[in-house]
Amino acid sequence: MVEPAIALFGGAYENASQVLEELLRESGARYALLLDRKGFVLAHKEALWAPRPPALDSLATLIAGNAAATQALAKMLGESRFNELLHQGATHGLYAEEVGELALLVVIFDNSAPVGRVKLFGKRAVQALEVITRDSVVQPGTLGIDHEYRDGASALLDELFGN
Amino acid sequence: MSTINFAAREINFKIVYYGPGMSGKTTNLKWVFQQVPQNRKGEMVSLATEDERTLFFDFLPVDLGEVKGFKTRFHLYTVPGQVFYNASRKLILRGVDGLVFVADSAPNRLRANAESMRNLRENLAEYGIKAEDIPIVLQANKRDTPDALPVEMIQAVIDPEMRLPIFEAVATTGVGVFETLKAVSRQVLSRVAAAS
Ligand SMILES: Nc1nc2c(ncn2[C@@H]2O[C@H](COP(=O)(O)OP(=O)(O)OP(=O)(O)O)[C@@H](O)[C@H]2O)c(=O)[nH]1
Ligand SMILES: [Mg+2]
Repeated sequence: MVEPAIALFGGAYENASQVLEELLRESGARYALLLDRKGFVLAHKEALWAPRPPALDSLATLIAGNAAATQALAKMLGESRFNELLHQGATHGLYAEEVGELALLVVIFDNSAPVGRVKLFGKRAVQALEVITRDSVVQPGTLGIDHEYRDGASALLDELFGN
Repeated sequence: MSTINFAAREINFKIVYYGPGMSGKTTNLKWVFQQVPQNRKGEMVSLATEDERTLFFDFLPVDLGEVKGFKTRFHLYTVPGQVFYNASRKLILRGVDGLVFVADSAPNRLRANAESMRNLRENLAEYGIKAEDIPIVLQANKRDTPDALPVEMIQAVIDPEMRLPIFEAVATTGVGVFETLKAVSRQVLSRVAAAS
């Protein structure tokens, strides 16, 4: 809770979605996601032609964990950061890049999309997303979760986990 | 800090199960996964070694349902308890909203419980968090061990001021698992509500 959070809504969310959409169109990739560093999905887009993506929650968690481990490795080697994460298999690839301090961009592509293009447009998207997310950082306490919310959620806890 | 996605109208909380190796953290999550109805949970992801020891983390998203128009979700994580996995353990703590400390009731694990709690305090400190400032619930697991230590003795080494709530559990059969999770979730919700 010490960490500030990103709360994407309204225009910021629309803008972020649009950046992801453009990225998909220009790079020919399948899916594009904006995550926070904790592994929560902030926004995502799928190409119209792409099959259903795997569970986004799990995907986001693994990538955030992977990115955190990679940055920890960089630090151990005396680097301030490693630039990007790139994984390529026989048919699919995954590209992830930091978006400022608090977020990550993830692009998943078929090998029909040249990796150079994914990286080029990925980096361009990162610049735009950095501005958007920077403006969407909120301090805890301004989020409007009140006692009414707490009581409602508390009742649901009993419903799901029993009394 | 909890993540709010206003566009998707979602509020997410991160709860981490901490504690010494083999204390039953993964078993807690498995029980939750088994019991929660299909439409209220996501996939369980376990990054474990061949012999089922947690290597990086376990992850399970649970959907609480909708509150005031917001889908509310708890993301449950476990850390690897083995001492030499500290680098990964630290990473999992990032952005944590609440903690369950799973202690082992076996007499020969008393010291391991104490050391794990000290390690937790150190790792939280690296994120600038004081253990006193974050919801923590204790669980004395493996109460079915024949020579299980008295709960007070376990609490005395992990929480000498007896400040934190403690629940007795047998995670393999689910005893105490939901009680513990409910308690930490409630504290997390109260804390967020009080902050606004
Ligand atoms: N008797 C008994 N055994 C338990 C209980 N809870 C867990 N176990 C067993 O203890 C062993 C370790 O449990 P895990 O849940 O994998 O422990 P962990 O805390 O995740 O361990 P690490 O991943 O190494 O940190 C398994 O064989 C479990 O079946 C319990 O309440 N009673
Ligand atoms: Mg485990």
